[in-house]
Amino acid sequence: MFTPNLSWILLLPLVGLAFVCMLPADKTSLIRRISIISVLVPFILSVWVYVAYDHVAGGFQFVQNVPWVVPFGISYHLGVDGINSLMLLLLGAVSLAAVLVSVSIKERIKEYYVLLLITVIGTYGAFLSLDIFFFYFFHEVAAVPVFLMIAIWGSERREFAAMKLTLFLVAGASLALIGLLALYLSTGLQTFDLVQIQQQLANHPLPLDVQNWVFLLIVVGFGITLTLWPFYTWAPVGYAEAPTAISMLHAGVLKKMGAYAIIRFAIQLMPQAAHTWMPIIAALAIMNIVYCGLVALTQRDLKYILGYSSCSHMGYILLGLACFNTIGLNGVVYLMFAHGIMAALAFALTGFVADQTKTRNLNELGGLLKCMPFIGTCFMMAAFASAGVPGFANFVAEVLVLLGAWDQYRWLTVLAIFGLVITAIYLLKAIRLGFQGPLGPRFAGLTDARTMAAKFPYILLLALLILVGCLPSVILTHIGSSTAAIVESIR
Amino acid sequence: MFPVINWSLVSLEVLMSIILVLLVAVDIALPKNTDKDWIGIFSFIGLAGLIIFWLTQGSLNGVTFSGMYVMDSLAWFFKGFFLVAMVFVFAMTQEFFKSLGERRNEFYLLLWLALIGMCLIASSADFLLMFIAIEILTISLYVMTAYLKSDRLSIEAGMKYLILGALASGFFLYGISFLYGAAHSTHFDVIQSYCQTHGITPITVFATVLIFAAVGFKIAAVPFHMWVADVYQGAPTPVTALLSVGSKAAGFIVLIRLFFGVFGAWHVEWSLVLAVLSAITMTYGNLVAMCQTNIKRLLGYSSISHAGYLLMGAAAGTALGAAGINFYLLGYLFTNLAAFLVIIVFSIAAKSDEIADYAGLSQRSSLLACAMLLALVSLAGMPPLAGFFGKFTLLMAVIKSGYVWLALIAGVNIVISTYYYLVVAKRIFVEKPHSTTPVAISAGMQLLLVLAIVGIVVVGTFQGPFLDAAMAAVNGMYLAHP
Repeated sequence: MFTPNLSWILLLPLVGLAFVCMLPADKTSLIRRISIISVLVPFILSVWVYVAYDHVAGGFQFVQNVPWVVPFGISYHLGVDGINSLMLLLLGAVSLAAVLVSVSIKERIKEYYVLLLITVIGTYGAFLSLDIFFFYFFHEVAAVPVFLMIAIWGSERREFAAMKLTLFLVAGASLALIGLLALYLSTGLQTFDLVQIQQQLANHPLPLDVQNWVFLLIVVGFGITLTLWPFYTWAPVGYAEAPTAISMLHAGVLKKMGAYAIIRFAIQLMPQAAHTWMPIIAALAIMNIVYCGLVALTQRDLKYILGYSSCSHMGYILLGLACFNTIGLNGVVYLMFAHGIMAALAFALTGFVADQTKTRNLNELGGLLKCMPFIGTCFMMAAFASAGVPGFANFVAEVLVLLGAWDQYRWLTVLAIFGLVITAIYLLKAIRLGFQGPLGPRFAGLTDARTMAAKFPYILLLALLILVGCLPSVILTHIGSSTAAIVESIR
Repeated sequence: MFPVINWSLVSLEVLMSIILVLLVAVDIALPKNTDKDWIGIFSFIGLAGLIIFWLTQGSLNGVTFSGMYVMDSLAWFFKGFFLVAMVFVFAMTQEFFKSLGERRNEFYLLLWLALIGMCLIASSADFLLMFIAIEILTISLYVMTAYLKSDRLSIEAGMKYLILGALASGFFLYGISFLYGAAHSTHFDVIQSYCQTHGITPITVFATVLIFAAVGFKIAAVPFHMWVADVYQGAPTPVTALLSVGSKAAGFIVLIRLFFGVFGAWHVEWSLVLAVLSAITMTYGNLVAMCQTNIKRLLGYSSISHAGYLLMGAAAGTALGAAGINFYLLGYLFTNLAAFLVIIVFSIAAKSDEIADYAGLSQRSSLLACAMLLALVSLAGMPPLAGFFGKFTLLMAVIKSGYVWLALIAGVNIVISTYYYLVVAKRIFVEKPHSTTPVAISAGMQLLLVLAIVGIVVVGTFQGPFLDAAMAAVNGMYLAHP
């Protein structure tokens, strides 16, 4: 019986990256093809991992463990449970779509794909690692490539946006690193191995005062990645100015590393501190939902709307994290997936529109459904998904989060539901201004995505949204045992 | 009676001195108008031989010259470090003087002298030998700094370095004299047992502060950093590279030997001082570096901030802290040398060290741009590069010793430094080039650039063996503080 080898998910794109590096810069079509293969193969492997994962048995599977730096107890330890196998699937789908929509990039192609592949490999590494050191290591690998990609291929305010985004993320990462090191040192185990630390802390929790400040460092540090209010300001401008593929990857997947880290390293390892701090985080989460939603209402730039919307939706993730029950945590993991796919889809479509029309300003756009029926329809579906219309994945996820939060945070939940209304308003407004009404004369000659190849990335993401929206059990049974184990350990 | 000398311990320095004397002879014997760079060629052969010889010396351990000279794991580790650094510096010199032509040979000889000085610093077990070794290094650096005698900046740099360096030497001697008054010896082992049996007194506080001031000058710690920017900018670039890597590492050996070994018993008193100095040094260096327009000055201030990071290891005062310093320096070696290789190649082609002129370098030479990017990102401390794991180790050491506030300040500094390193990276990769002519790189420089890149990535990714070496250097150290 074959079982997936997780290292291949890292090594094969690395081989692809090496090939791209060695090719001369003018072999653009070959570079594009190799890049597509380099993300397609790990996507297929991720699907295989997802299918092969035995969710009845639960726990970490397909584990590989090689000692790396013995004196510090660092090991190259890969493995998946229900949660990160789902994240692999998310990354696989989004990275494939992101590479496919990158055909719109016309200059400095080799550098573009090199940086894009490094970003993808780093993110795969972070989600695969069961070693705290390697999680951090891989999660930081993406920082500089993202900076360069925004600064080189972004839109007008790209240099400002790139610097702001990178500095915020580096600041968050530094805080988190100090927290993780303090965690490592206070266990006294001399190991960064997540599994061993979990076992140790389940039986011998850290003293409460240590837990309290270490937890805070980790949650604020990774919270910056997750656009925790009020540390979210880097995201809208960063996503707006970034090239499409980076907006997709970052809003879709990279910021989910923050939520993933908070689940794995903060809440699960320091449950007592979680009970102290998470109610405060829940209140901030409402600020995310309502405040960022209201800001999104005032925006006229399509990508800014999506950027604020993305910050707003992170509020549901944070709220779900504060619930400490299975239904809430299931909702969080579900939402990480659903929002990732939805955000990637929305940014991909916006990128397509902006490439065609040369503007993202809703006051100038209008009537695009007439000339781009396919793109317009997809955008409307993405917007419905985002607003929580049943039938799409986000609906299931948000309902789960709200149900989970209801018992403990009744008033906050009411506000969160109000946030869904705000989402519906700004997205419907965007649809009305951008895609309905009379078609501006400037845009008369624009073309839709015509070929199957051009439509494929959007169809892929949309199909996933609808599939898991209509069949929630595909995900819920898969992650059930893993989330139940985490909730068990934090009770 | 004449003391028994174990020559095998000293053999590396003896060989270096022989090579130096032979090179002087060759220099005299050579016809004046020869084009061939014989001294350079012989120097490379000598360095290659010495590196092979150094590899065989790993197990040596002992004290000789009446306890003045020690060969232990720490000395061995750093001698290898200096030899590797010197390979780069010699190659830079060769490249640098291609455009200047004359007086190249004397420069090589001074480099050899500096190498001998650094190796002797690594092996000192007595304050007098340490003083002499530091002077051998520093005096050759004075000369080399002011070597471009028609360049005003170079003269100014040499002058500044000389005056402040002489002051530091004075402090060092003055401190030694007080210490001698207290402990009645200049031997490290005697002073160490004095420290273990006596508490710190006003006299010894004064002595150690003076000695620290001299070390602070070498490693460019605030408030002994005044010389750095001007000297880094004015000195010939190979000398800047040597200052930033070799001279700084030599300073940290002294710090490790003294503050982990000799004064180890007084570390409780010193720890907080070192921690505060570390915080001030890194913050000052990074803040001032933000507004630099000259790449050599930028790296000068960045080198001050890195002295601050490295001082975290000294503040921690544990074996882990010392190992962190060693590892960090190892990463810093490849990182900084990569940056200076790029600077040399670029300054020869473009006749400029201004950051503004680096605009669009990625379109003129992808190798240079790539090397500079990796160097900058490694200096900023991002994985998977060497600088990251060094910072990681040092942060771990200070948190373990209870200085969480210092770790947080370091975290803030990492953000500040990321900003100005990325500003340079942005110029190189984002802005339009002033001219599109490709930058020519000689084959030797290409090889070294690739070596430095490989070093940055390998040290940062396969950290295990390098960390083992850094830890072994501390654990087997002579007079290690328990």
